[in-house]
Amino acid sequence: MEISAELQRQQRSPWRHRMRQVQAFLIDLLLLTLFLLMVEFLVVAFSGRRGPTGLLVTPEEILDLLHYGWAAAGGALLALLWGFGSDWLGTSPGRALVLGVPEREGHRPWTHTLRGWFIALMVQLTVFTGWLITEVQLVTFLTQFSKATDIVRGLVHPSSTVLHQGLVLLVQTIFLAFMATAFAIPVAFCLSFLAARNLTRDTFLLRSAYTLVRAGMNFTRAVEPLVWALIFISWVGIGPFAGVLALWVHSVAALVKLYSEQIENIDHGPVDAITATGASHLQVLRFGVVPQVIPPFLSFTIYRWDINVRMSTIIGFVGGGGIGYILKPRVDLGQWGEVGTLVLLIAATVWCMDILSAKIRERIV
Amino acid sequence: MSQNGAPVDIGASRPAEVVRVEGLTKVFPNGVRALSGVDLEVRQGEFLVIIGLSGSGKSTLLRCLNRLIDPSAGRIWIFGDEITAVEGAGLRAMRAEVAMIFQQFNLVKRHSVINNVLSGALGHTPLWSSLLLRFSGEEKAQAQAYLDRVGLGDRGDSRADALSGGQQQRVAIARALMQKPRLVLADEPVASLDPALRHSVMRHIEALNREEGMTVLCTLHDIDLIERYATRVVALRDGELVYEGEPKSFDAVTFHQIYGEDAVMAGSAVD
Ligand SMILES: Nc1ncnc2c1ncn2[C@@H]1O[C@H](COP(=O)(O)OP(=O)(O)OP(=O)(O)O)[C@@H](O)[C@H]1O
Ligand SMILES: [Mg+2]
Repeated sequence: MEISAELQRQQRSPWRHRMRQVQAFLIDLLLLTLFLLMVEFLVVAFSGRRGPTGLLVTPEEILDLLHYGWAAAGGALLALLWGFGSDWLGTSPGRALVLGVPEREGHRPWTHTLRGWFIALMVQLTVFTGWLITEVQLVTFLTQFSKATDIVRGLVHPSSTVLHQGLVLLVQTIFLAFMATAFAIPVAFCLSFLAARNLTRDTFLLRSAYTLVRAGMNFTRAVEPLVWALIFISWVGIGPFAGVLALWVHSVAALVKLYSEQIENIDHGPVDAITATGASHLQVLRFGVVPQVIPPFLSFTIYRWDINVRMSTIIGFVGGGGIGYILKPRVDLGQWGEVGTLVLLIAATVWCMDILSAKIRERIV
Repeated sequence: MSQNGAPVDIGASRPAEVVRVEGLTKVFPNGVRALSGVDLEVRQGEFLVIIGLSGSGKSTLLRCLNRLIDPSAGRIWIFGDEITAVEGAGLRAMRAEVAMIFQQFNLVKRHSVINNVLSGALGHTPLWSSLLLRFSGEEKAQAQAYLDRVGLGDRGDSRADALSGGQQQRVAIARALMQKPRLVLADEPVASLDPALRHSVMRHIEALNREEGMTVLCTLHDIDLIERYATRVVALRDGELVYEGEPKSFDAVTFHQIYGEDAVMAGSAVD
């Protein structure tokens, strides 16, 4: 059954099937290359090899020493072998992921397949390699707490000298987050209809708009707000407005995603009913779609404001206004009492926003 | 039937043709053949009931008539105009004259009852004021009158989802009235209602037919409603028209023809 379905699919679109095979091969290639690299890393790490200074080579130096080209070539070779030998070796991980496991090996336990053992080994290798690369030092962590007591003492003994300035900037932070959210609402609202699959199937123009908006928003969301802040700081100068713009861009992208998912989940009945009265597209949106999505939109928007308040602290670190702006120099100078005051102010605000937004969202939905 | 495809009035004495369907076929993208080669003709003033097993294509047929579904093959005329492939303003103008009533009522749940009735006028209202939910005084008075007529005159300000199923379907009928249609498509209008409430809703649909002179196409599940309301019955089976006749001549033999040998005629057992 399974196989014939797969065959049917192959016949219906051979081109797409080819693409899937290429995808599967690339995933296998990636996994096997990583596998070889991690093996080499661990071999070098435990070989006791010494660097130019006579000391044991550090993980960073090992990363520099690895033979990436050879590993990729080896990975490609192994991926090809596994691909062609899948009758004896079982389905490779990439094929299992992209094309699914054929019926005849579907119910075998993982210990009976090469793929199962390979994945288990990969997980272990990743943990070992990760441990070394991130230089995990359990002993230090468990015994050297005393060095951090200064900071902790500062945090629990807040100093009142920055209280006034902190409160002023806190107000700025909240408004900064609010303005970013407010500016984001109309833009995200309009774009979200174009980013909803169920409303953009009819014409070529709509389908292109969907792809364009989706791609644009995914890219925008992938760029960290911190990076947006740096861009806007050079654009409009240091200050809260740069922060507003940075959070605005990020909020638009995030809200479009949340909004459009809501639009995709609407009940299609009212849309049919309004369409059947002879209403135009805009009227169908206004009557058939908008009333259904307003409550979730409101709830997401308030949630977004809440997130923006937290984010604006970090944005302030690089000069985007708000309370983060005076927090950064005090962290650098080690004025832990003042840092404590500011951190507590932020924590209190976030806590209030959290409760408030949860309460409002509870009421709306 | 006519060879050149144009609708022909045979004899001036017969009522005007309202719906004409030739060779209507619908194959969904997933390969399901919901309708195959349906021919049908409906004349002014008829109350045509369409029956058939679940999945026989009743809804698909009705939804092709107002083009909520685009047919795969065949031709459709409504009021003598071919609408098989009209788009844009022409399509909307046709839809404005054809009201639809749904099994699930399909009201805008978060809007008031009166707004739901008013939405029936969307085919005629100016775009911008309707987007702001502003309707003319005349339209509001009209909507209120229709609400009175379906016995819900005092519920205009309630939210639509605060009403019971039977009441919601009556609001949907008021919405259909607001459209001032010449043709009404009712897709199992009483299937999700308590059996005791079915006649109260069916009577309002009957009134559209008898008092307003609207032609009605109605799909039904209960056989016992047919004789009471229909002027003619057609049956679908696997997307094909397999029966056509007077409601009175609908008996056990034809029943088994349509529903298969294993089916049990409900009649007195239910209701
Ligand atoms: N959008 C769709 N996509 C794919 N198949 C569909 C779609 N709509 C209906 N079908 C299929 O078309 C066939 C006819 O469906 P239709 O809804 O017209 O039947 P029906 O007679 O109205 O049944 P019911 O009495 O259950 O409402 C069914 O097999 C159904 O599964
Ligand atoms: Mg149906």
